[in-house]
Amino acid sequence: MNGTTTIAEFRDAILDPAKRAHYRLAWLSTVDHKRIGVLYMLTGLFFFIVGGVEALFIRLQLAVPNNHLLHPDTFNKLFTLHGTTMIFLVAMPLLFGFVNYVLPLQIGARDMAFPRLNAFGFWCQPFGGILLHFSILAGGAPAVGWFSYAPLSETPYSSTPGIDYWAIAIFVLGLGTISFAVNTITTVISCRGPGMTMRRLPLFTWMNFINSFLILIALPVLNAGLAMILIDRQLEGHFFLPFRGGSAVLWQHIFWAFGHPEVYIVVLPAFGMVSEIIPVFSRKPIFGYEFVAASTVAIVVLSSLVWGHHMFTVGMGRPMDLFFIITSMLIAIPTGVKVLNWSATMFGGRIRFDVPMLFCIAFLIQFTFAGLTGISHASAALDWQTKNSYFLVGHFHFVFVGAIVFAMLGALPYWFPKMSGRMMSESLGRWTFWLWVIGFNMTFIIQHVLGLYGMPRRIFTYPDIPGWGWMNMLSTIGVFFMSAGSLVLLWNVAHSLFRGRVAGDNPWNAWTLEWATTSPPQHENFVALPPIHSRRPLWDVANPDRPDPVVGDDQVVLPDHNKTGILAFIFSEVGFFGTLILAYLYFYAHPQAGPGPKGLDVPRTLIFSVCLFASSFTFWRSEVALTKQRRGSMLGWLGLTIALGGVFLVGQVNEYWKLFQTGVDLSTNMFSTTFFTLTGFHGLHVLIGLIVLLIFLWVAWEGDFASSRPGSAFKAAGYYWHFVDVVWVFVLLTVYILPLMR
Amino acid sequence: MTTYQFFTTAWTWNSIVLILSAVALVGYFLAFGQRGRPLYFAAAAVVFLLALISPFSALANGYLFSAHMVQHILLVLIVPALLVLSLPQSFSLRSPITHPLIGWIAGVGAMWLWHAPTLCNAAATSRTVSAIQTTSLLIMGSLFWWQVLAPREEQRLSPLAGIIYLFTACTACSVLGIILTFAPVSICPVYQHPVDRLGILSTIRGDWGLTSDRDQQIGGLLMWVPMCAIYATAILAQLARWHSSPEPEQSNA
Repeated sequence: MNGTTTIAEFRDAILDPAKRAHYRLAWLSTVDHKRIGVLYMLTGLFFFIVGGVEALFIRLQLAVPNNHLLHPDTFNKLFTLHGTTMIFLVAMPLLFGFVNYVLPLQIGARDMAFPRLNAFGFWCQPFGGILLHFSILAGGAPAVGWFSYAPLSETPYSSTPGIDYWAIAIFVLGLGTISFAVNTITTVISCRGPGMTMRRLPLFTWMNFINSFLILIALPVLNAGLAMILIDRQLEGHFFLPFRGGSAVLWQHIFWAFGHPEVYIVVLPAFGMVSEIIPVFSRKPIFGYEFVAASTVAIVVLSSLVWGHHMFTVGMGRPMDLFFIITSMLIAIPTGVKVLNWSATMFGGRIRFDVPMLFCIAFLIQFTFAGLTGISHASAALDWQTKNSYFLVGHFHFVFVGAIVFAMLGALPYWFPKMSGRMMSESLGRWTFWLWVIGFNMTFIIQHVLGLYGMPRRIFTYPDIPGWGWMNMLSTIGVFFMSAGSLVLLWNVAHSLFRGRVAGDNPWNAWTLEWATTSPPQHENFVALPPIHSRRPLWDVANPDRPDPVVGDDQVVLPDHNKTGILAFIFSEVGFFGTLILAYLYFYAHPQAGPGPKGLDVPRTLIFSVCLFASSFTFWRSEVALTKQRRGSMLGWLGLTIALGGVFLVGQVNEYWKLFQTGVDLSTNMFSTTFFTLTGFHGLHVLIGLIVLLIFLWVAWEGDFASSRPGSAFKAAGYYWHFVDVVWVFVLLTVYILPLMR
Repeated sequence: MTTYQFFTTAWTWNSIVLILSAVALVGYFLAFGQRGRPLYFAAAAVVFLLALISPFSALANGYLFSAHMVQHILLVLIVPALLVLSLPQSFSLRSPITHPLIGWIAGVGAMWLWHAPTLCNAAATSRTVSAIQTTSLLIMGSLFWWQVLAPREEQRLSPLAGIIYLFTACTACSVLGIILTFAPVSICPVYQHPVDRLGILSTIRGDWGLTSDRDQQIGGLLMWVPMCAIYATAILAQLARWHSSPEPEQSNA
């Protein structure tokens, strides 16, 4: 009995193939990107209803002055849940669902690069959603807003477990999102079909590819912040508690360093959808592909430099304000470029006003409006006046609803035929469109005016000030239009699924690869791919006499997916540890009474560090032995690597133990809080690395590597192990060596 | 001294800098003649002189950390980029120092190394250290830019690798900028209590409103934001190069 069958048996003991194929488990156990895409969308749709009902109650409470429909605390909980739900449980799963379904098809791939990771990423979504809403039963939902500002979110001020559930839920959702981004990047880099070079990627794919990098930049920062707030609440740390030496403003920096890129994380996939739909319904190729593609990269680079404009009212000082004003204004340029390109694509085209296109046109107008009110917030002086007013509420709902939701409402009828094989009803679609356009604008345009009239955000009711009553009533009435539109949409989806007109492969005469296969596509996606020489392969097939100009040469380089995937993951880890190290340095600069870095035993730590660094060398030897197919030597070096890693961990536990003995624990002062957090998370990563290496040891022991694959997976695990060592270099320098130089 | 007086009189006619620039100009024309791109070289010389003899230099010399940062950016990013661009097409450099890793470490190291408090202080007070700093910045900056601006296509990084190279460098410098911006202690203590050689300190602290805290914050922000904007521009240039690269031998991304 060799190793392969053992592992296969191990897997089948959990679930045999016959059971997996049964319909009741087929959707639960699926790793097919198309089914996972649909599951993502169903999850998003479910929470859209939840978040929508929450919004409905908020608007009902605000419909008339001095209203007492809801208790003030309930109102706070509702707008916290509404914001969190709509961003993390509606916008992201819905958009990722479209990406999951469409992106592999667009590049001619059979599936995502890591189908099981894909399933993991999906299942994080419903579990995160359940965790968040379980807080209602567990003693109190979070009531501090979706940004959870410290110190309000700290135990002394929010003693119910709502914030803990909130933080853990977002953490779980964040892990799912990171795994999704790693998967998307790897799929685009390593799984493209023949002829699909990087320069020929459809814009939807390109934008989501670039967007995935933004996810890997932004989400780990939030995760680090969530870890800190959980440490504050559960282990009595003081990261964000000013009266213990922490900094509440630090939370705002961390949150918005994630929060502003997050806006682009949800808007870039929407941009991608619009960039697909507008050309098809204008019967013209996109105007200035290169500009649309490059401006996406510019947005990603700039978006990490603008978060300060969320904090003008904090009092960061004149210089900070000035620089963030400039960068916030700069980022309007690449966004404006896109709007111009979409408009120019429509200019002179034979526009077909089908439902997807109607939503895109509304998107274009509403997004431009949202951009204009947005750029007004780049001016700090104006921002001070409008910041906490309904003007801001109107602005960001124009971005999230007017742009993102409208793009998705357009993308649904566009790709629904591909997913179901049937067209959605055009007349019902128009009903949805007009109900949404009227309802949305009725609800949110007036909110800008309300804001300028001085109505603040996050108030559960308001006195009967002239003008406020009817404007709020108008805003509430609009919600009913949107609700009616949503009901029509749900009916349309349900009805079309069974009774819709049969679509055929390519109902819109579109040009990208997803339309080259059957609707819905078979399990393997494609029987054969058409030749790909340009950005519109199906145009070339349909018009052989006047094909698009050839873009670049046909040679496709596909790097190994294991290595690509782990490098993308490491990229995200850099952000996580970077945030922890910066937080450590931030508090290191304000020394407090009590234990400090001077009390650490540097020589002993250096000895244990040498063990860790040596383990990188021994792993490399093990890799060499594997390449040369010398099993015994490989096992020996790998075992030594694990032993050295284990010694390092023992050293760290020993260090912790000695600190505990002298009465130093996480809650002692800022140094101990940051020290245990930073070294603890590193230790956790070493532990995970050791578990991975033990699995490899087991697999190698069973003889699996001896057979066919000399393990790019093994190399990938090595990248991770070396990375953990490199992180320790930085931790060692900042925590142990830096104080010696003072 | 008023602001006007300062900006009209504080030009340091440093003879060594002027002579070296003249020698470099002559050397450039002797070496490359008509083959080079003299406009870039002239631009490099002008920026170099502006950085070292203009009133900014006087401010950087012990008064303002932010002025020092402007000088630093000009000397490590702008001048070397123009220098590499001024090289003729035929110019080729085959040496281990043109390895991308060396270039990256040189470019990022130039930022981090010279902002270690001891070195930063020394450079702001000692003319010798300052000269060493200037030279090293020019060399390290040139090594950095060589990877993306080398005269010959085959000696540059491929566009996509170039984007990773620039993005990571941008991140590494941003981190330093963030640290400088938020650091509550002075990174370069010399600038906290300047020796008022020119009698301008009251104007700086009063009329300009630049306290030493605010000064360091501006310095950090300069490293963080405009510096990143330079890298971002270079990244866009790489994308343009990628999309316009001729077929078919160029798609080795």
